[in-house]
Amino acid sequence: MILEKVLAVLKKDFLTAVRYRNGLLLNAFAPAGQLVMFYYLARSVGPQFRPEGMPYFTFLLVGTGFYTFLLTGMHSFFRSIQESQQTGTLEVLMTTSTPASVLLWLSVISVFASGLLQLALYIGGGFVLFRPALQVNVAGCVAVFFLSLLIVVSIGMIAAGLQVAIHKGSAALWLLGSTAWIISGTLFPVAALPRPMQILAGLLPLTHSLSGMRLALGSGPTSALIREIELLAMFSVMLVPASLWFFSWTVGRARQFGTLSHY
Amino acid sequence: MHSIILDSVHKVFRPTGLFFPRRDKTETYALQGISLNISRGEVFALLGPNGSGKSTTLKLISTVLLPDRGAVLVNGADTRHQAPRVRQQVGFALASERSFFSRLTVRENLDFFATLENVPRGERGDCIQSVLSDVQLELHAGKQFMKLSSGLQQRMGIARALVKKPRVLLLDEPTRSLDPASAEHLWSLVRQLASTGITILIATHNFAEAVSVSDRTGILEKGRLRATRQTMGITAEQLRAQYMELTGEWEAAPWPEEVPA
Repeated sequence: MILEKVLAVLKKDFLTAVRYRNGLLLNAFAPAGQLVMFYYLARSVGPQFRPEGMPYFTFLLVGTGFYTFLLTGMHSFFRSIQESQQTGTLEVLMTTSTPASVLLWLSVISVFASGLLQLALYIGGGFVLFRPALQVNVAGCVAVFFLSLLIVVSIGMIAAGLQVAIHKGSAALWLLGSTAWIISGTLFPVAALPRPMQILAGLLPLTHSLSGMRLALGSGPTSALIREIELLAMFSVMLVPASLWFFSWTVGRARQFGTLSHY
Repeated sequence: MHSIILDSVHKVFRPTGLFFPRRDKTETYALQGISLNISRGEVFALLGPNGSGKSTTLKLISTVLLPDRGAVLVNGADTRHQAPRVRQQVGFALASERSFFSRLTVRENLDFFATLENVPRGERGDCIQSVLSDVQLELHAGKQFMKLSSGLQQRMGIARALVKKPRVLLLDEPTRSLDPASAEHLWSLVRQLASTGITILIATHNFAEAVSVSDRTGILEKGRLRATRQTMGITAEQLRAQYMELTGEWEAAPWPEEVPA
């Protein structure tokens, strides 16, 4: 039955997306423009700039592509709750035979699926068009990707819980997203930051996701990759149970106070 | 056998803050010790002024809200401790008509909700066709939800509540946006559903609706159930007179609705 529900959600979101034709078109072309911009940015910086031992174009491609995927996934939980509150579907969905936490997971499947497709097209397109050199550690890539996914899902669930509880999950995500964009090594290496900012960056799981993915794709030292994977695993162990508990708690609290549909 | 039991149910809405205490300490006493038993296959109409607690009562039965004190049971299942069992049995048509996916068609919306309600795949098509026929929406099945009139959107809410084949049906102001002919059709549908053993609770402001479809009527005022009475043999006007006396709404406008009795 759960597979049927997954398919039903994918079908609903696909039909909705294709019926917003203009938005679909813009979404399809935006990454292509970004790729071209990064290519010329990397050319203007010059080949001598090799952050973390890789060409700057590859650095940007992996950093922004993976960061965008992770951030989109993180936002999807909060957006799902917010849209349900605004359209009035939240209370109805909560009275169906499908449990609330399953509904939340189902509601973000399409976002992750389309995000994954965009990531593949973005990185794939970048490689086909501009042919940067890569030596891929497949096992490392899979490990970093899976652990990063667990972390963004957990942060997303906490944001969704905040949206249910204080109706401002967006504020928390904006703070995290904008901070991470600057200091997690998306556009330039963390080593270029002042020391206090480097320490702060080390506390953000996204920093380790990006660093781990670059090490796995650029064939960096295995010991450094393993260290990043260990850190990501540690973040996952802390965040997954905490986020599940927090979301259940906020939904229960909203049912008690009658604020489920408030936004 | 009682299908719905409300046992001394209290519901208070308090302003709450997650991180900071709220200065506004105003509490709203939505329900104050309501007790009510509704039998299987019975149609019960809840009347009451705005803010009297009608929608809160329906939300408590549907598990959208939890009671502060007292218990709500649906066919023996406690809404607080056995919410999944309750949800399997309850169909809820909200007064709001916007709770659908606007770009999907009527059929696509119903198919989506039927899947969430665990309606088996093999039965889903027939089930949707049947409820579309029940609420007279067959001709609009291929239209996007956003292109429906408010009356048609309201019928769709009822169709969604029926698609899971509920044992208990909750209807919040079901004829608010309907034209007289559609309202009459809905009333006959409600009677037909009740005859198959479905318990139906309707929150309404419409006296004609209450006497036309219900077996019993309850009058809520300020969160208290002021009276319940058998509806058979009384006219809408008699019910209205009793309602006015109990709620003190003597200054109310003339006859508030023009739907056929």
